[in-house]
Amino acid sequence: MTNYSQDVIRDLIAGELPWHQTKRIMSAYKDDDRFFKVVAVLQDRVTWTEQILLPIGEHLFIVQKGKTRITKCDCGHEFGDYKKNWKLAANIYVRKDKRSLREIYPNSDLCHPDWMELREFICPGCATLLEVEACPPGYPIVHDFQPDLEGFYRDWLKTPLP
Amino acid sequence: MQDKAPHPMPYRDRLRASEAARETTGCYDGVTSLSLRAADPLKFETLHTKLRSFCVSAREMARRISASPGVREVGEMVVAIYTPEGDAVALSNGIMVHVHTMSRFIKWMIEQGYEENPGIREGDIFANNDAFIGTVQVPDVMDVVPIFYEGELAGWAGAVCHELESGGITPGGDVCLAQERFTEGLFVCAEKIGSNDEIRRDYVIRCERNLRMPIYWVLDEKAKVASCIDMRENVKRIIDEVGIEYWRQVTKEFIEEGRRGQLARTQQLTVPGIYRGHTFYGHVTEGKPGFQPLGDSNWLYAIPIEMTVETSGKITMDFEGTQSWGYHSMNCTPAGMDGGMFVTLTQHMNYEGLVNDGAWMATELKLPKGTWTNPDNEFCATATSWALLLPAYGVFQRLLSRGFLARGFVEEVFVGQVNSPMIEMGGESQYGTQFGMAHFECAAAGSGALAIKDGLDTAYVGWNPESDMGNMEIWEQNMPMLYIGRSILPNSGGAGKYRGGCSFLSTWLLHKTQHLRLVTSEHSSRVFDNAGMCGGYPAPTCQLHRTVRDTNVAEVIAAQKPLPHGIGLNPERSTIEELIEGDHETTEGPYISSPHVAGDIFSHAYNGGGGYGDPLERDPAKVAYDVENGFVTELQARNVSGVFVTQDIESGDWSVDVKVTAKARQKLRANRRKRAVPVAEWIKSEGNRVAAKDFVYEVRRMYQGGMKLSPRFSEEFRAFWSLPKGFVFEDEKAPKRKKM
Repeated sequence: MTNYSQDVIRDLIAGELPWHQTKRIMSAYKDDDRFFKVVAVLQDRVTWTEQILLPIGEHLFIVQKGKTRITKCDCGHEFGDYKKNWKLAANIYVRKDKRSLREIYPNSDLCHPDWMELREFICPGCATLLEVEACPPGYPIVHDFQPDLEGFYRDWLKTPLP
Repeated sequence: MQDKAPHPMPYRDRLRASEAARETTGCYDGVTSLSLRAADPLKFETLHTKLRSFCVSAREMARRISASPGVREVGEMVVAIYTPEGDAVALSNGIMVHVHTMSRFIKWMIEQGYEENPGIREGDIFANNDAFIGTVQVPDVMDVVPIFYEGELAGWAGAVCHELESGGITPGGDVCLAQERFTEGLFVCAEKIGSNDEIRRDYVIRCERNLRMPIYWVLDEKAKVASCIDMRENVKRIIDEVGIEYWRQVTKEFIEEGRRGQLARTQQLTVPGIYRGHTFYGHVTEGKPGFQPLGDSNWLYAIPIEMTVETSGKITMDFEGTQSWGYHSMNCTPAGMDGGMFVTLTQHMNYEGLVNDGAWMATELKLPKGTWTNPDNEFCATATSWALLLPAYGVFQRLLSRGFLARGFVEEVFVGQVNSPMIEMGGESQYGTQFGMAHFECAAAGSGALAIKDGLDTAYVGWNPESDMGNMEIWEQNMPMLYIGRSILPNSGGAGKYRGGCSFLSTWLLHKTQHLRLVTSEHSSRVFDNAGMCGGYPAPTCQLHRTVRDTNVAEVIAAQKPLPHGIGLNPERSTIEELIEGDHETTEGPYISSPHVAGDIFSHAYNGGGGYGDPLERDPAKVAYDVENGFVTELQARNVSGVFVTQDIESGDWSVDVKVTAKARQKLRANRRKRAVPVAEWIKSEGNRVAAKDFVYEVRRMYQGGMKLSPRFSEEFRAFWSLPKGFVFEDEKAPKRKKM
């Protein structure tokens, strides 16, 4: 069975693994213990102690906080109940005019602000850009992912949820 | 439109029994155990590998028969071997989207009673390019031949080539001006086009008299038939070795194993739950010549997808909330939607070889009737269905990737594919003859980024994993245009911690023609038809066309002054405008105009991919590399990534100004804090705009269409913006447009 050390997984996540090794991992059979190793690496990286149950973004995790499960940024900012869309508890900046779009696309042909805006969802804690939505004005904010945590741990990981 | 079938047929009975057995047992054809694999796994695997190698070698052989640069250079072809019921057992590389659409074609013939009339016999050749029977669009012409063994149907061999010319109202294959089926070109509707391994002469004559460039289509037919015969004879040799009973059982087990493999892979790579995402596509034909006033001239499509991953491993994709089919060429049939699903799965989950129709059986598509994904009018056109299909399956790739990310398989996270707008052309060739062609260099877009590295530059399209733009010199042999530029388009990949792959832009000088029609329609208008992920930005995919007529190119060349090799970096005035005098025109969305002549200049850009992660986290050294190599400009590097680079005057090398970069990044982060507001506040103010329906007509129309066809979307829309129960967008008349 394929298996990698935690150091290799850490470098892979950080994008620091040499390409030939990364390529080998991509081409090989997948390692079945990956999830646990990734969570361990991520847990090592954060300064807080709540247990990570599931990574859901580059900086966002579902964590166990006491008896509740919440969405949390690696900076420590908490977005509340994981079943609710974390974006609704974020900050937002909307690019909806030519000037602000030009900041991102200095020479490209632009979308028309009457037809499309760029919504930047920003962490209130660390000001990291967590997601960008590109949509027409008025389109409801999307809830990207509602994981079936119980089913995942029970049926796939065969491990009880903490 | 479809005639009722005559009498029940044994093949049809077999097909229905197979489907019923799957319904009852949940397993393909009722195969609940893989007994042959268990008894002798080596024999089982060896046979599958042989079948796959038959497919790969048949396709390579056929590519050398073809005259089409699309097939020869770019590999626009796929072949596959099927069960008697029409389920794919093994396939080649290439345009794998068609492996499942061909399956639909075979099943359609069986259901229609072809066994009785026109008959299914050894040596017969059947062809189809009707999307409502089983393909994606008219240029995707498929040929299948039955495989008989000792008088019994033992399977089918099939092959598809994308034709570069299909004889539609506008030249090329992706017929942009087709607003109804009747203008899409030459249809071959599940037709017996040959017998005794020979293509009928009258069929060839029909092709020769109805296509602008029949040599492509006709030689592709020969290539496909040759590949089918090659696969058929190899399969018969295999059956000689293993026996017909073993063959019948093992092919079923291959498919059942493929189905189980897909479920297992989903359980291994993802996390169960509900995933949601969207993209949008704009199509502006207002004021453009040739479009009949049959419906709205401007369209804005929402493509929302809800993907559910069950703990069983089943993936369901639901397109509820999208809009109606329309009088344009971008509608898609369920066959095309299935094909899109199939080709995406082959790349992201079934990359180990045992890929067949089993993978498709482990998934489900919910395609609301009446939408562009499942039109309730078979007269509608599907000639450019890729325009909506590619962005849609880009969403699917991002949804799957969210699952890979959550599961820890970061190396599989992929921001997705983008549209690959193709140029269609026709008229007088450089040899003085009539011609028509689709320019397939579009098969090399930028890819979306990965979660651990940048996307591929000019080297990926979702519909053909063997991405290739083809050599300029080969294309120049086939069209009256000379390249004066083919270059990376800076900043065309979406910014991010890992940027999307960049696209390229081609600039041509027309030569030796007095009549060249250039048509292209698959660029989104006014909206980017892709997205970033986890803080990455979408790629800018509303590319415009820049053309010049009545140029002074001859004088510029005679004076040995510089020619434009691209459009440059000034969005307000292109390099073409700076260097060439003439009638300049900049066009958004579909390009359709009066014919061009020698001396004109035409530029066309392809799309880059979306970015991944916050650009402020991008390694500054990567930015310096990007600036040095023309992927990113200094201005974007400063504005978006906060990276300042400097060039050593003597060595020419670029390096990062570390101190200034650190400060700039702090400043950009502070700026974010300053101008962002809590989402709750924004919803309150934006909600007033929504309640007042303060949007342009096309946006209101998009909401009206989505709400009309989807009660779920209506409820969610009203709930999100706290609107009253009866809130709707009215069905309103289009505003007066520019004259057609």
